[in-house]
Amino acid sequence: MRHILGLIIVLLFIIGFSLVLIVAGNYILPSHEIGMLAKYYLYLAYNPWQRNFTVMSPEAVTSIVWDFRGLDTVFETAVFYLAIIGSIALGRGIVKYIKPEEEELGLSLIVKTVTRISAVMIIAVAASIALHGHLTPGGGFQGGATAAVAPLLIIVIFSHYYLLEKGVTKDLMLFLRSLGLTGIAIVAIIVYLIALPQGIHAYVLQNQPKPDSSIGLPAYINGQLISGTLWFFNLFEFFAVMAGFTIVFLLITIPERAFRKEEEGEKQ
Amino acid sequence: MIEDLLVIIGMIMLGIGAVADLIAAIGLNRFKNFYLRLHAATIGTIWGAFVPLIGASLIAAGSPCLGVYRWFVAGGGLAIAFLVLILAPAGSHALARATHRSGLVRVEPCVVDHLNEDMCVKEG
Repeated sequence: MRHILGLIIVLLFIIGFSLVLIVAGNYILPSHEIGMLAKYYLYLAYNPWQRNFTVMSPEAVTSIVWDFRGLDTVFETAVFYLAIIGSIALGRGIVKYIKPEEEELGLSLIVKTVTRISAVMIIAVAASIALHGHLTPGGGFQGGATAAVAPLLIIVIFSHYYLLEKGVTKDLMLFLRSLGLTGIAIVAIIVYLIALPQGIHAYVLQNQPKPDSSIGLPAYINGQLISGTLWFFNLFEFFAVMAGFTIVFLLITIPERAFRKEEEGEKQ
Repeated sequence: MIEDLLVIIGMIMLGIGAVADLIAAIGLNRFKNFYLRLHAATIGTIWGAFVPLIGASLIAAGSPCLGVYRWFVAGGGLAIAFLVLILAPAGSHALARATHRSGLVRVEPCVVDHLNEDMCVKEG
């Protein structure tokens, strides 16, 4: 009886909610001008004949994310940065790892060998996702999240201590991530810094030349399309996100007994 | 000529994959314990995924109507086939080893278990 009552309530909720959505959907229609915006994005993403408006990237999503609404993405990166800072603050003081000596660490040799092969392939795929972010779907965040799967696999299959002994420590990852964020900050103002000594007017987060500012990063280097700042944004975002996720994985996989021993040591 | 041969071999491999997937599904349903079902599941990933992927790459390589992109399809298929080939057995091995070592699932019915005699539950 209670099951049927619950089912009816859930069903009524779903039907009522979809009714509200249908009614609301009729009123919140974007105006015609906003609808035209999507057309302009597609038209201007890669358009060598409109050099003052284009991003010179065939990937419309990346050109929106890092150019048309670049400031928004920089703030998103800052939010991610703060989230990682929060998790590091939660895990502060846990620095001394006591490695168990007699126990066999990790899974069997077969799984370890397969992981050795696949971890390298994961990093390669992640680098290709990130560095081709301005040509094909993908980008710095997606590539970094993919690359962070490799340390996660190594933590699960080889153990936490293996990664630390190989030098992938929290401090190194913190350094890499700070390097990535500094890179993003520099790329965001690099056109402005280039334009400043020449006395030309330029904007923050500018990529290609604009109607009132004739300066921009080159779209091609040696015949290869790099879309100005987009390639550098993707590269630095890749490092920042990969290192950030690795820090979180390292922190959440600290074995509880190492933590407990530390606590007991403090009490004595 | 060679292209027709590639397509025919690819089709045969796709057929083998379909039959193997059916056998693996029946095995997964009918086998008596966890370890045997894991064996059936791995049949489904090697004969039912690795072999058809190779077949699909061969068909792509033997279809000039796809243009130059057929080499991308074929190469992608081969790379994925290699990954499935090494990852699927490692996964089922890790599952079986962890389950047996932790003593979570007993081998039942069992003929002989050299790793741990206590886990072996003989029939009857």
